[in-house]
Amino acid sequence: MTPVMPSSPFLCVITDEAFCPLSLAKQALKGGAAIIQLRHKHASGNQLFLWAVEICKLCHEHHALCIINDRVDIAMASKADGVHLGQQDMPIAAARQLLGEHRIIGISASSLHEAMQAENDGADYIGFGHIFPTSSKEKDYSPLGPETLRQATALLSLPIIAIGGINHENAASLISCGASGVAVISAISRAQDPALATQKLLSSINRSRS
Amino acid sequence: MNDNRTKKKAFLPRLCLISSGEERADNGTLLLKQLALLPRSHSCMVQIREKKLNAKELLTLALKAREIELPEGTLLLINERVDLALAARLDGVHLPENACSATVLRTIAPTLIYGCSVHSQSALHLAEKASADYLLFGPVFDTPSKRIYGPPQGLEKLGELCQATSLPVFALGGITQKNAPLCMAKGAYGIAALSLFHDTARFAETIEELYIHINP
Repeated sequence: MTPVMPSSPFLCVITDEAFCPLSLAKQALKGGAAIIQLRHKHASGNQLFLWAVEICKLCHEHHALCIINDRVDIAMASKADGVHLGQQDMPIAAARQLLGEHRIIGISASSLHEAMQAENDGADYIGFGHIFPTSSKEKDYSPLGPETLRQATALLSLPIIAIGGINHENAASLISCGASGVAVISAISRAQDPALATQKLLSSINRSRS
Repeated sequence: MNDNRTKKKAFLPRLCLISSGEERADNGTLLLKQLALLPRSHSCMVQIREKKLNAKELLTLALKAREIELPEGTLLLINERVDLALAARLDGVHLPENACSATVLRTIAPTLIYGCSVHSQSALHLAEKASADYLLFGPVFDTPSKRIYGPPQGLEKLGELCQATSLPVFALGGITQKNAPLCMAKGAYGIAALSLFHDTARFAETIEELYIHINP
């Protein structure tokens, strides 16, 4: 089946290196996440593939999408819905040639310039951030802030997923800035009850509509 | 497809050059120098194995390597990443033991050559099940780069593996012109090396010498 980007506003949960991606995915899907991104820079190829197959299955049972970080080959082999590529990963054109038109390609962008470039290159969505300070990843630049997000959503027609330091208190404001969804790592993985945390985050972004 | 595979295997070169692991993202790489220096008279397997480079840098390096005119029969492989092999139109991938299995990867890239590192019985079993195109075994001799993994496996273990499988086995680790014939005598199909090829001043000569020493 051709994967379709979820309708806005949605929640994307990215797996945390420090926790088992399978149990995280299960909890996040139970809480209503629309996209699971499998991201594990230190796992072996075999482990990554096995996780990807399992997470795809879980996602499809929940009508959610499974996106693989960086490894286009693992995405192809596991029949995942798409890949998420950082600026240091394979360029979009090469990934598109391997994945075809129907699979989803998301790109990390940390500036308006990178975001526009990604849209021109044929990305399907943009992960834009970090918006707020975050502890999940080492960053060498300061947070972009909601105002830059607003500019990005005004400039671009692609769905933009806000990422970086997002929690249930600030998530709604980003949807108001025009983000199609928000992506989180630690807000879910470090929560006492990841399923409940997902639900709470989701209901707060849904409130932004009313 | 089976015929095709047998044919490919029959044409595997007996010498495998593995990149240094020290390639940098900018210009002036050792690998590209080595490729340009390959003697026209011999084919080689060349494995791009650069764990410090990210996917974007690896693809750039692989594309540059692909642009170089190589001696006939020379095969370009990259470590593990089938996506990069396809994107750069390389000939195959080399899979470490913990990589996604060749059986799975053949479903997305059936025409690539698949080599497998083998250090254990279970790895051999998996590689055979996937009908790997070749196996890589080592370290056979002492080599500074592999000391952290413990003592060398030795010629006897190499011999046992070659006895146990019909797949071509490349011996790796501390290989020199002198000891290469010992590996061949144990049943190795060919030899693989990294640091042996670092001296670009003697590069072509080293390859010529090795080919004289390993010719069955």
